[in-house]
Amino acid sequence: MSDLPNSGSETESAGMHAEAKAAHSLTYWQLVRRRFMRNAYGMAGLAGCVFIVCTALFAGFIAPYSPTEGDRTLLYTPPQTFKIYESGSGFQRPFVYGFNEEMDATTFRITFVPDPEKKQVLRFFVQGSEWSFLGMKFTTHLYGTDEGSRIHVLGTDNLGRDVFSRMIWGTRISLLMGVIVMAAALAVGSAVGMTAGYFGGMYDLVVQRIVEFFKAFPALPLYLALTAILPRRADPVMVFIMFAAILFLLRWADLSREVRGKVISMRRLEYVRAAEAVGASNRRIIVRHVAPNISSHLIVWATFQLPEVILLESFLSFLGVGVQQPMVSWGVMLNQILDFQSFSAAPWMMSPVGMIVITVMAFNACGDGLRDAMDPYSSA
Amino acid sequence: MPWTRTAVPSQDKERTPLLEVRDVEVSFRTVGGTVHAVKGNSFSVHSGETLALVGESGSGKSVTARSIMRMLADNATVAPQSEVWFKGRNLMKLSEEEMQRIRGDRITMIFQEPLTSLNPIYRIGSQVEEIIRTHRRMSKAKAREEVIRLFTEVQIPDPEARIDQYPHQLSGGQRQRVMIAMALANEPDLLIADEPTTALDVTVQADILKLLKSLQLRHDMAMILITHDLGVVRQTSDRVCVMRYGEILETGTTESVFSSPSHPYTRHLIDSEPSGTPDELAPQAEEVIVGHEMRTVFNIKHGSFFNRKTMELVAVNDISLSIRAGETLGIVGESGSGKSTLGMSLIRLQQATAGQIHYRKERIDQLSKKEMQPFRTNLQVVFQDPFSSLNPRMIIRQIVSEGLVVNNIGKNSEDRRQLVEDALRDVQMDPAVMDRFPNEFSGGQRQRIAIARAIVLRPKFVLLDEPTSALDLSIQAQIIDLLRALRRKHDLSYMFISHDLKVVRALCHNVIVMQSGNVVEQGPTHEVLENPKTEYTRRLVSAALGER
Repeated sequence: MSDLPNSGSETESAGMHAEAKAAHSLTYWQLVRRRFMRNAYGMAGLAGCVFIVCTALFAGFIAPYSPTEGDRTLLYTPPQTFKIYESGSGFQRPFVYGFNEEMDATTFRITFVPDPEKKQVLRFFVQGSEWSFLGMKFTTHLYGTDEGSRIHVLGTDNLGRDVFSRMIWGTRISLLMGVIVMAAALAVGSAVGMTAGYFGGMYDLVVQRIVEFFKAFPALPLYLALTAILPRRADPVMVFIMFAAILFLLRWADLSREVRGKVISMRRLEYVRAAEAVGASNRRIIVRHVAPNISSHLIVWATFQLPEVILLESFLSFLGVGVQQPMVSWGVMLNQILDFQSFSAAPWMMSPVGMIVITVMAFNACGDGLRDAMDPYSSA
Repeated sequence: MPWTRTAVPSQDKERTPLLEVRDVEVSFRTVGGTVHAVKGNSFSVHSGETLALVGESGSGKSVTARSIMRMLADNATVAPQSEVWFKGRNLMKLSEEEMQRIRGDRITMIFQEPLTSLNPIYRIGSQVEEIIRTHRRMSKAKAREEVIRLFTEVQIPDPEARIDQYPHQLSGGQRQRVMIAMALANEPDLLIADEPTTALDVTVQADILKLLKSLQLRHDMAMILITHDLGVVRQTSDRVCVMRYGEILETGTTESVFSSPSHPYTRHLIDSEPSGTPDELAPQAEEVIVGHEMRTVFNIKHGSFFNRKTMELVAVNDISLSIRAGETLGIVGESGSGKSTLGMSLIRLQQATAGQIHYRKERIDQLSKKEMQPFRTNLQVVFQDPFSSLNPRMIIRQIVSEGLVVNNIGKNSEDRRQLVEDALRDVQMDPAVMDRFPNEFSGGQRQRIAIARAIVLRPKFVLLDEPTSALDLSIQAQIIDLLRALRRKHDLSYMFISHDLKVVRALCHNVIVMQSGNVVEQGPTHEVLENPKTEYTRRLVSAALGER
């Protein structure tokens, strides 16, 4: 070491070297987290996302009933409102009134009139139908009423099933569809895009033509054709998988284009060339140098893609070409009020729309926040 | 405010300064906390005078200038006591509209990067015209005449034809002339030039500075010149403010500051100009790498679909060279002359079209990527830009040890860690930095890490592709010392690509001067620089070393 000049180290004789040092020892992800936490809108979105995911995971607990059990005597009942005051006995714990069914003699219209005789007191952590989580069986539900009566906070549908329970259970299928399609498109799209951008040449040329083919494919006829292709009595799980596959096929192409462009510009960066200079293999360069540096882009893409898939799923299921009964998704529930009559008779069956809006807004807000937080040019 | 008079009180009894900056303080809010970029600076400029703000990157010189124009980023805060007096008005107290009338009219600014400061989709003439017509009532035809007059004044050849061209049709120097024309359009009282020549080639730099100086004299403007280049300061400015960490350390006339600097930092800066000569070369040293008639051609397709033509761009035109053990060969030329392509072709990071390359008698130009693998550890490279040459998502240990992992050097990770530690010590970095990310380091430190990545493999030959040109002067001097020391310690051979003749003179035994793919001149450094044989080399030498 004695032959090296000792005027060197910048850390030792910092006074003479006016180069500005990085102010703080923050890694990229620490910085992103800090920026994200300061963004109120993004944080609200994140809270919404957590809420939706928890709803999906603990659907069995939150929903008082299973999505299939119905009460034949209570078809199309309107939502029951909670009361805490009863004339005569004053304030008490929350309760609802049961309904008496009445038919108008001239219009034949059936109306439901709350009956103070059928008072049902709201109870928490009640025992009910069995549900399972991670292979374990449970029978406890968040809320319910005493044995023998039922409570429908968002009313019932044409088979007397609890709309609220079905909506909660529907979160699972809707979210699962979103996650499956998004994850598959993410994996294939980024792999194809990275390799095409990195290797270029003939491979890139062929891949790009394939991408164009998928992008040119008319999407809606394909969805509609799906119902025609599948046998009438096909297994709903089968339909679900096929449906997810088609959504995925039409979605990976966009991402692969974006990733390809990013990788092409990254390929010229000096750290990639330096890795080449030390003799790193292509595989190593892609895995160690290229992939980590587009990860932020992928994360943002994923958070924006998820609500899009959920919207598309609910739209197609609403038309009846997506998820099939007895699986419950938000779209399937909306399918029940496809015609105008049933919509006007039971407007409360629209409630899944609320969940869709919340989900889409939450994920979009979260994605916006992430994009701002990961923006390398942001000065905030 | 008691300031109701139009004149600004000043110590200078004879003349009121055109611009007086008093106690300006600027800070930025960032995630990491508040950064004080400018800490209570005061200075003044008289009309007809050039004041240079000198300092290394991050010293706050640009922020100071931008605070005069009130053109700071959104997260900047100017302290309330800051005052900028310009022609009897405190600019800090003006409304945004009043400020707009001053910007581009009374005070104008030229930026470093002439390509991005011009809008690529408008003709240059109309961009200059716009500036004139926003501040002065003038017909279109009259304004056009005015633009032609301005273009003539900034010495743009053939202004009548140029006026309808787009920015991409002009060279870097021409674009900077257009920027100057824009800045002069309304005959401003004060011109702020923020590193106006940094992005330009040496020979062009000299011309632009000469032009600025003559224009200033003709229009009796005041000029604030922001630069890190002491050569530029010496040639153009009347007075100098030396800045560091947002503070002005020293102010004085250019002669007095250069001849008797009062602050040790100023002295340090002046001493940082590259000096010394390369070590003696052993006369019988073996040849490490030899390139024979190397030729690298890029095919550029142009023309319509039915009439497709392929143009050949010869970046390296039949160049032969040899580098002996311990030798440093300098490659000099302006941007686009093919120096980087030559270097990259030599170590086979770029496929050469023709020619032979031998590494210690073994021919390597025909080898496949796999066959090249054993040679990779011997042939290493250090790139120009310290900010893009380190993967931002890897820690220093991973970056430096990558070559070891790839080439199976070192038995286990503990072994490799030891090798990385040695390499970091070699480049005078504390081995404790190993577990940190690149974004925590300054440009000079990053360049040291990049050098460590190259030498950890114990190479015989290192290609240095402008390793110092993105660095500040004092850091540059250190890196040159470091490269010299490493060459001695490990008996390295270098190919040193640079446009800076001062650095080349300090480091290289032999030099090749390149121009558009061809060798213009070749030989021992001192001979080429002292007795340049060709006109081109003569111009390069006089532009870079001329003033001494």
